[in-house]
Amino acid sequence: MAISLWSLKVGDRCRIECFDDTLADSYRVRVMELGFHPGEVVSCVQAPAFGAPKVYRVSNTMFSLDEEVAAHIRVVLLTANA
Amino acid sequence: MRKVILIGSPNSGKSLLFNRLTGMHQKVANFPGITVDMASGPMQSLPDVTIVDYPGTYSLQPISGEEEVAVEHFKHALDDPQVVHVLCLIDATRLEKSVYFMLQVIRECESHGKRVVVLANMMDILKKHQISIDLEGLAREIKAPVIGISARTGIGFNDLVESLNSDINLDEKSVDSGIAEVPDAFLRGTAHQLARRYGPKGDILIKSQTRLDDFFLHSVFGGISFFVIMYLLFQSIFTLAAPAMEGVESALGWVSDWVVPAIGSQMARDFTADALFSGIGAFLVFVPQIFVLTFVIGILEDSGYMARAALICHKPLRVFGLTGKSFIPMLSGVACAIPAIYAARSIDSPRKRLLTYMAIPLMPCSARLPVYTLLIAAFIPQVTAFGGLLGMQGLAMFAIYFFGMASGLVVTGLVSRMSEDHYADLPFVLEMPPYRIPAWQPLIRNSWNRSKHFVTKAGKIIFAVTVVVWILGYFPNFGQDLAASWLGYLGLWIEPLFAPLGLDWRYGVAVLTSFLAREVFVGTLGTMFGIEGAEENMVPLVAQIQASGLSIASGLALLVFFAIALMCVSTMAIMARESESNTLTLKLFAAYGLAAYGLAVLTYNVATLFS
Ligand SMILES: Nc1nc2c(ncn2[C@@H]2O[C@H](COP(=O)(O)OP(=O)(O)OP(=O)(O)O)[C@@H](O)[C@H]2O)c(=O)[nH]1
Ligand SMILES: [Mg+2]
Repeated sequence: MAISLWSLKVGDRCRIECFDDTLADSYRVRVMELGFHPGEVVSCVQAPAFGAPKVYRVSNTMFSLDEEVAAHIRVVLLTANA
Repeated sequence: MRKVILIGSPNSGKSLLFNRLTGMHQKVANFPGITVDMASGPMQSLPDVTIVDYPGTYSLQPISGEEEVAVEHFKHALDDPQVVHVLCLIDATRLEKSVYFMLQVIRECESHGKRVVVLANMMDILKKHQISIDLEGLAREIKAPVIGISARTGIGFNDLVESLNSDINLDEKSVDSGIAEVPDAFLRGTAHQLARRYGPKGDILIKSQTRLDDFFLHSVFGGISFFVIMYLLFQSIFTLAAPAMEGVESALGWVSDWVVPAIGSQMARDFTADALFSGIGAFLVFVPQIFVLTFVIGILEDSGYMARAALICHKPLRVFGLTGKSFIPMLSGVACAIPAIYAARSIDSPRKRLLTYMAIPLMPCSARLPVYTLLIAAFIPQVTAFGGLLGMQGLAMFAIYFFGMASGLVVTGLVSRMSEDHYADLPFVLEMPPYRIPAWQPLIRNSWNRSKHFVTKAGKIIFAVTVVVWILGYFPNFGQDLAASWLGYLGLWIEPLFAPLGLDWRYGVAVLTSFLAREVFVGTLGTMFGIEGAEENMVPLVAQIQASGLSIASGLALLVFFAIALMCVSTMAIMARESESNTLTLKLFAAYGLAAYGLAVLTYNVATLFS
């Protein structure tokens, strides 16, 4: 079942599936260029309070994405944090 | 002449390598998007080679201003016969962020007959953690040479220089990496696989980063530490700089005691005492503060904290129509508006960039610092606690700084709400660099350069203004009576404008001259008091202000005026150029000038009620 990247909790790991059509093309391409490529395993490492952008890990690189991007990335949950 | 271009993803160490190869001093900091313009210089070990430093970009499809600059110039470079080598930097510790762009560069270079050498930077970090990566395998796969280097420690520089030398004679040997004509979508897939296969494995590299982030991005401690760090930044301007400032002050006093009496002619003696020592000297006292401020901001930038601050501020700044990415230009605006305006290039949304331009002139820049310090020192008692960590003057400074920043936000908040699409805007995507121990030497050098720039500026504008003010104030009665001098007459004429602030004509003249540059205020005031005072030895300007009968209400009004008014010719010139709009610049000048005056009058009247 595909959920959005934004809905991940700290410690969750997921695999990127696809992108919503609603995400602007330039940003869809950009996040793929940064490594959020379909098939890639991504985890959520920080979720600061008050809706601040969350921090995601792709291999050894950390990126922060806000809801406007992350909510449009469809993922499959691999391991949920206990 | 041969050109070698340095290109690669943001924050991969291009500028540091450029500095090492050329001996120049481009700004290096641990934040993606620091370099926003091209820079070039001859290579020290191969003087016929010119190295060109590029802004970083993640791909050939730019989304922000500095990426556009990089891509635009790269396209020209591909057709430039002088460009022989393209050095493409990748960050060996985090291949996933740089290999895609590397593949694009290889593809373009191949179809234009340019030679690419891939430099895998940050090898010192891998060495430290005893991680090895298979650079040869990577080189075989991409059919381009890959050299492991460290721009920080110099690992691999010999190989780098050698490759620049050796390849030169093999010209036009056709390279075929088999990726010419391959579409971007395919390259993204390849990049993804290469990063997986050749990137460093395991968690070692990000462990400490995650631990620090657990604290600095914590829901509670993150916010608290943000404010504590910002407060310490302002307090350090006082605590750390105070001894040096006293040192400069007493050194100047000592030199003037020694020089002034030795001058034969009365007029030359007066000029030296009033214009040089009281005028320019009053301003030199603040140089240590500029140094400390640049240094502390530099620590924040190079440690990697700045990206966290941008993240923390993103949501709150959005309320005011800005983005977390506006935070860095705005904080550099605390040092100086000019680099801040350049730094705003890295904001991808044009509208938010424009709003950031509006906020920058309200950031409390270091040229305001002398004015603030002077007025605060004149009115606020010097009480401290906790060994200088907490002080009344520091708090007052914090308040006036906060006032400037808050007014910047109010302006952008109001302006952005005037347009329909206040919330609909580009998303926020930012690489979080790893935390690093700052590189001290470049930091000190950068702070030193800023201070030097401050002093050279003094050498020009301030000197010119001080001399003019001195001449007008000294003649026709040879310094006997300032009020009856030419300057005095001029002053009477403008006095009505400043009467609503409770300021006499001397302060009026000082304010008017500071429209060239704010710090001129101090020089002008120093010169006038110097002419007035009969003493030949230097009296600290603070004492003279206290003795001049300036009321607290007027002092506050002055603080408010300086906080708001756009008084800097250079800022206006750069803003007009970067925003490509003279009207915006002139409108801001007029609006901030009127607002400053209005608020200052209001402050004066309210404060008078209470005193
Ligand atoms: N440990 C280590 N740090 C490095 C190395 N190269 C660069 N750095 C650090 O990485 C950060 C970024 O360096 P810059 O030279 O500013 O990177 P850049 O590629 O010019 O970045 P942009 O101009 O933003 O695209 C700085 O904090 C450098 O000190 C290296 O080889 N080893
Ligand atoms: Mg750079």
